[in-house]
Amino acid sequence: MRWRNPVFICLLSALTLVPAATEEAGVSVRGAWVRETPPGMTTMAGYMELRNNASRPRVLVAASSSGFETVMVHRTIVKDGMAGMVHTSQIELAPNASLIFAPGGYHLMLLNPKRTLRAGDRVVINLEFRGGLVLPVAFEVRK
Amino acid sequence: MHRISLKFSSMITGVALAAILAGAWLADVYREHDSRAVLLPDRVMTLFPAPKPLTAFALTDHKNRVFDLASLKGKWSFLFFGFSHCPDVCPTTLAVLARARANIARSTAGAKDVQFVFISVDPNRDTAGKLRQYVDYFDTTFLGVTGDNAQIANLAGQLGAEYQVAIAPGSADYPVYHTAAVFLSDPRARHHAVFTPPHDAEAISKRFKVVRELDAGNAT
Repeated sequence: MRWRNPVFICLLSALTLVPAATEEAGVSVRGAWVRETPPGMTTMAGYMELRNNASRPRVLVAASSSGFETVMVHRTIVKDGMAGMVHTSQIELAPNASLIFAPGGYHLMLLNPKRTLRAGDRVVINLEFRGGLVLPVAFEVRK
Repeated sequence: MHRISLKFSSMITGVALAAILAGAWLADVYREHDSRAVLLPDRVMTLFPAPKPLTAFALTDHKNRVFDLASLKGKWSFLFFGFSHCPDVCPTTLAVLARARANIARSTAGAKDVQFVFISVDPNRDTAGKLRQYVDYFDTTFLGVTGDNAQIANLAGQLGAEYQVAIAPGSADYPVYHTAAVFLSDPRARHHAVFTPPHDAEAISKRFKVVRELDAGNAT
C-alpha cells in the first residue's frame, strides 16, 4: 500500500530517471526535491534519498543554504495521536545504507526562502557531515 | 538438535502458508466484493456502524462566510485539521485530497455533493486572506475554515481530533501539533468515517465510493 502512494511513485520515478545528482566521499544523494508552496507561504520541506556507499558510518550533522534563512533537519512524528515535528541534531548513516527523506518522515525544513521558488526552479542545499564534509545538492522545486 | 530445527522450520512454513492464504483471501474479497472490504479491519478507513450526529458549532470560511452545522448538511465533507505554516504533513495531505477529489469528480456519482474543508487550528496566523491563498493553491473548490479557539475545540472535540498550539511569546514561529487523520461527515452531518494516515488518493476515493454506495443502499 505504501508504494502506491503517488508521492513515493514520483520519488521512485525521479530516482530512476535522474542520475546520481551528487557523489562525494562515498555519500550520494538522489531524487532531491522541494515541495512548491502556495503563494505567500514561507515554510517549505525538502526530500531526498541519501546513501552512504562507504564502509564506515557517516553522520549528517546539519544542512544550510544561501537560498533560505533557516534550514533544519526535521522528522515528522506522531505522538498521542498528533503529528508534530522534532528537530534531529544528527543522523547516523550506516555503511552501505540509504536513508529516505520523504513526506511524513525525515525532511529538511526550509524557512523563509530568499526568493520565490516555483516548480522547475533549482536551489542548492549543503549537507554537512561530521568530519567536515560538505555536500552541495541541487534540489528541484516541484508541485 | 536436528529434530528440533526440523520441527521449527515446519512450524515456520505452516505459519507462512497460513499468512499467504489469509492474504490471498483478503485480496480476493477486496477485488470481487469491494463493499465487503470495509467490514474487514482496514488500515485506510474506519467506518462507524452508528454515525454520531454532530452538534452546533460556528466557524468562518476563507471568504468570511459562516461555516456551521448547516454547512455540513446535504454534503459529504472531508475535514482535515492543520495550519498553513506546516511544511510536511499539511501540504502532503492537501495534495493527496486534491487528487482524491479529482478521482471522485471523474466518477459516475461525481463531486457535486462533496466538499473538502481545511480547518486551521492556528487562527492567530491563519487569517481568512491567508487561508484563501492557501487552499486555492491545492484546489479552488477547497474551503479554508477557522474561528475562535473555543469553536475550533468544539468541532475538533466532536470528531476526536487532537491539536496543540505551542504559542511562544514574541516568536512568529511556534510548533503546532495536530491529528493527521481526515474525518468524513455525511450529508446528515454525522461523523461517518475517519481516514488514517499515511493518506493515499486512490485508496481514499475508492473507499469513499463504497461508503457512498452503502449509504445509498441503507437509505432506500
